[in-house]
Amino acid sequence: MGGDAFTFKLFGLMFDWTNIISGLIVFAIVFFLLFGLSRKLQMKPKGGQNIIEWIIDFTNGIVRGQMPADEAPHYNFMIFVLFVFVFVSNQFGLLFNISWNGNEILRSPTADPIITMTMAMIVMTLTHFAGVAKNGFGGYLKSFCTPYTAMLPINLFEEFSNFLTLGLRLFGNIYAGELLLKLVAGMAFSHGIPTMIVSLPLEIVWQGFSIFIGSVQAYVFVTLTSVYISSKVSTEE
Amino acid sequence: MFAQSVLAESNSLYVGDMIFYIISFVILMLLVKKFAWKPVVKMMHDRAEKIANDIDSAEQSRNEASDLATKRQSELQNSRQEAATIIGNAKQSGEKQRSQIVASAQNDAQALKENAEQDAKQARQDALKSAQNDVANLSIEIASKIIHKELNADDQKALIDSYIEGLGKDES
Repeated sequence: MGGDAFTFKLFGLMFDWTNIISGLIVFAIVFFLLFGLSRKLQMKPKGGQNIIEWIIDFTNGIVRGQMPADEAPHYNFMIFVLFVFVFVSNQFGLLFNISWNGNEILRSPTADPIITMTMAMIVMTLTHFAGVAKNGFGGYLKSFCTPYTAMLPINLFEEFSNFLTLGLRLFGNIYAGELLLKLVAGMAFSHGIPTMIVSLPLEIVWQGFSIFIGSVQAYVFVTLTSVYISSKVSTEE
Repeated sequence: MFAQSVLAESNSLYVGDMIFYIISFVILMLLVKKFAWKPVVKMMHDRAEKIANDIDSAEQSRNEASDLATKRQSELQNSRQEAATIIGNAKQSGEKQRSQIVASAQNDAQALKENAEQDAKQARQDALKSAQNDVANLSIEIASKIIHKELNADDQKALIDSYIEGLGKDES
């Protein structure tokens, strides 16, 4: 198909090697990170247990801040996994960005719009399910007609724009960060030692900034997720 | 460089990637829930419960301690009272005993004095008697020496007795 990318076809579906490899590694990292942190649990926490409990408290706090108290516990786990996954994905490309024969092998999965839109789709699907589960199908449909029926197109458009902005915001931030890192790296090797000296501090500064951006975007992603879920489950009847 | 990065430049939508990520994400959620989330959350919940229990039991033992303190206070009061009664009783019985002892000592002294008086009287009587005898004998001897005449001792004794009796009457 075009031969422009590092792809393969299976069961009539297109797969991209970069996403598959990076994604698998990120999933493995997330799992083994959380698995390793939750070993040797004690009543009096120490070491890794403190870290995972801090992360859980942090994401629980995000959910609690957005939702009615009786709804929050249902989504704690989802938000927790989503946060850790997006966070690790964002940072992954800063550590490992490997190209071979002009094809990228490893980079942040979230630097690909397909992946961020997939995550956004998972989230938006979840919010709609949550809305139906809470208010029933009738209540769910009615929520599009609040405060009056004339608002219906605006509400529908809002759903769509929520989906787009949620995915594209994450993609844009991470992709821009990695792109600039690559450009600075390219500049470093373009004219020998002088450009290296100039590029090194630039690269360091931008890497630090990208770590910050990646953390903030992970936080924003899960915060917006809980806001969307909350707006669906706490519709006033 | 951007060829495989941006959707618009790619010739087809990577639907496979989407399905791969959705399935992987679900698997990740299941694994994390089983191996990390549940034990950690359970431990956090257990800890919260334990802390609540500890607070409750601390409250309870505090109450128990204050109960014990009041009890101890009242018991101390009781034993103090008891001690006061015991001391009072002892004082009373001591007083009683003292007066008894003093009374019996007075009695004894009285009896002794009486005995002594009697003894003295007796002794005086005896001494007088023996003196009467001696005087009688002496006077007989003297008289016999003076008058050289054997006088009947019994007549002489009666004579002197009457004389001494007359003396005793004059004295008392």
